[in-house]
Amino acid sequence: MPETLRVLAPTPRGSAARGRGSAPLPRHSPTPLSARPNVVLVGVALGAMAVLLLWWRGTPYVHGMGDWLTNAGRITGLLAGYAIGIVLLLMARIPAFERGVGSDRLARWHAIGGRYTVSLVVCHVMLIVWGYAVTAHTNPVHQTASLISSYPDMAMATVAAGLLVFVGAVSARAARRRLSYETWHYLHLYTYLAVSLSFSHQLATGAQFISDPLARLAWSSFYAVIGALLIWHRLLSPIRSALRHRMRVVGLTAEAPGVVSVYISGDHLDELEAQPGQFFRWRFLTREHWWAANPYSLSAPPTPALLRITVKALGDHSSDLAGVRVGTKVLAEGPYGGFTAARRKRRKVLLIAAGVGITPIRTLYETLPGGPGDITLLYRVSSPENVLFQDELEAISESRGHRLYFLSGPRGGPGDPLSAGRVAKAIPDVRHHDVYLCGPPAMTETTIRTLRRCGVPRRRIHHESFEL
Amino acid sequence: MRRAVLSTLGTITAIVVLLAFKSAPVRVARPPFSSPLNASEPPVSDPPATSPDVNSIAPSSAAASVASGEPTTQPVAPTTNGAATRTPATTPTKTPAQPKAPAQPKAPSRSAAPTTKAASGTFLGSSAQTRYGPVQIKITYAAGRITGVVAVQLPSGRSRDAEINNYAVPILESETLAAQSANINSVSGATYTSDGYVRSLQSALDAAHR
Repeated sequence: MPETLRVLAPTPRGSAARGRGSAPLPRHSPTPLSARPNVVLVGVALGAMAVLLLWWRGTPYVHGMGDWLTNAGRITGLLAGYAIGIVLLLMARIPAFERGVGSDRLARWHAIGGRYTVSLVVCHVMLIVWGYAVTAHTNPVHQTASLISSYPDMAMATVAAGLLVFVGAVSARAARRRLSYETWHYLHLYTYLAVSLSFSHQLATGAQFISDPLARLAWSSFYAVIGALLIWHRLLSPIRSALRHRMRVVGLTAEAPGVVSVYISGDHLDELEAQPGQFFRWRFLTREHWWAANPYSLSAPPTPALLRITVKALGDHSSDLAGVRVGTKVLAEGPYGGFTAARRKRRKVLLIAAGVGITPIRTLYETLPGGPGDITLLYRVSSPENVLFQDELEAISESRGHRLYFLSGPRGGPGDPLSAGRVAKAIPDVRHHDVYLCGPPAMTETTIRTLRRCGVPRRRIHHESFEL
Repeated sequence: MRRAVLSTLGTITAIVVLLAFKSAPVRVARPPFSSPLNASEPPVSDPPATSPDVNSIAPSSAAASVASGEPTTQPVAPTTNGAATRTPATTPTKTPAQPKAPAQPKAPSRSAAPTTKAASGTFLGSSAQTRYGPVQIKITYAAGRITGVVAVQLPSGRSRDAEINNYAVPILESETLAAQSANINSVSGATYTSDGYVRSLQSALDAAHR
């Protein structure tokens, strides 16, 4: 789609004239293959219904307490098997989902789904053990032992359940805070082991599958498709892209204390079709850090020859970017993210950035079509020396006629420059704007509340935040 | 939190309703038998995992320090500055990317396709004023081709100018050699310098073709 690429061209002047005084919104060329969030949710819900139907079809009737418990255990087990597939699917980096739903929302859904899945697994185990024990008139401990020893593949399934609970526990808030992102991420990979260990007991002991080859086929294909998508998008596609683009660092500049811009060049970069506001997962091939891929937004509109990211020393990985030098080879997965012009519904746009959150906002500020006065940027900084891209922002503001405000001041209280009163005063018609918001989680949260108070509908506040 | 409660309740309700429907025919035969109380009890142990909303919002300690705006002093800057000066090394590695660049002509009027009429020799472009200072380009022309291009004047007023020049100029040079014209892409982050570069380059090309 060369259409989108032309919009990305680094010269903003051509696009400045467009959209001025035109009807509500400048039409953006639609991205092919992007799945709307509601469509995805409906799809997931329909799948869950199909799973329940599977149980309904394979169960003649339920009577007695043992039966109730056992069948509740079967339903939770089936739902858990389905949910874990969906949770993996959300992380399969499928471009349509990444664009349409947005990577940050996918990650949040993944976290919610993960917690739900682990809860279902725990319920499944307890209900089945209890139900079997009631039916067989034994105690649960004895029943557990016999389940593991005498049912096919149950030993593997037990290990799988243990792994899932373990992964769930390390992802819980309290533990998560004590682990580095990388440790947490790699512990997460045990989920794949858990899924493969648990798969065979589902078909070998699942009451709905033993006597129903069609159900077995459907269930296996569900897993096979997800497995194929994961392998394609998370393994083969990055390898192919690495061979095709051969990216490397061609320049490093310090933007502010602790903030570095990295310039990356490579072959055929135009084929990436990256849009302003999107990010890549970057892997710098130095001896220490080749194994960690971190998401950084493009901080300048991409060109066929050059990409730029700007990184603040956050987390284990980014603080070591200083070890990256000119010539370092880079692998990039992406582009990802739906924080682009495609989210825009209105002619007027308010961009709000805080700290290093300016990176995607800066590219949108340069490239969003709009006439003078249509686009406003509020950039919150902790202190003047931490302002990033001051010259670039001022130059864009000047050449395109966009409004630009640098804000500093205490958070909360009457002096807060991002209080509802001040925002409403600076931009009286703020409720008619689309708002793009990027900053630290706490700031994002309070700013969304502020905007809601100013009358901006929730659906027109677009934000991107990466914390789990 | 509300979401966790709702999804738990929803799941339990769905399971109980399904089971109740399935046991309906039997209940006629044996009345007090099915015990929904017992059936709905176990899932209460369901939420060991906690509130999704609160969890996803919890700031990491690093992010929190950004939010509160504490001055964080990272010793990153000096090393990177050092690395920036090494940029010219990129020029050779750049070239493979170039055949792509001229595929998108930006301004047709600028085109100066190499013609045989052009003289050979060195041509100095006019000094192009930019927001940050003048840019002036010198090209070497031989047998109808640009064989060399050198920036003789670049913005240098600010310390950042040197950094920008370090990465942008080698790219502009190799783009010029590949395109054999002033039809080159500007380097992002160096829009003004690129613009001046193109203007001076065009005037040098015009001089060569006179």
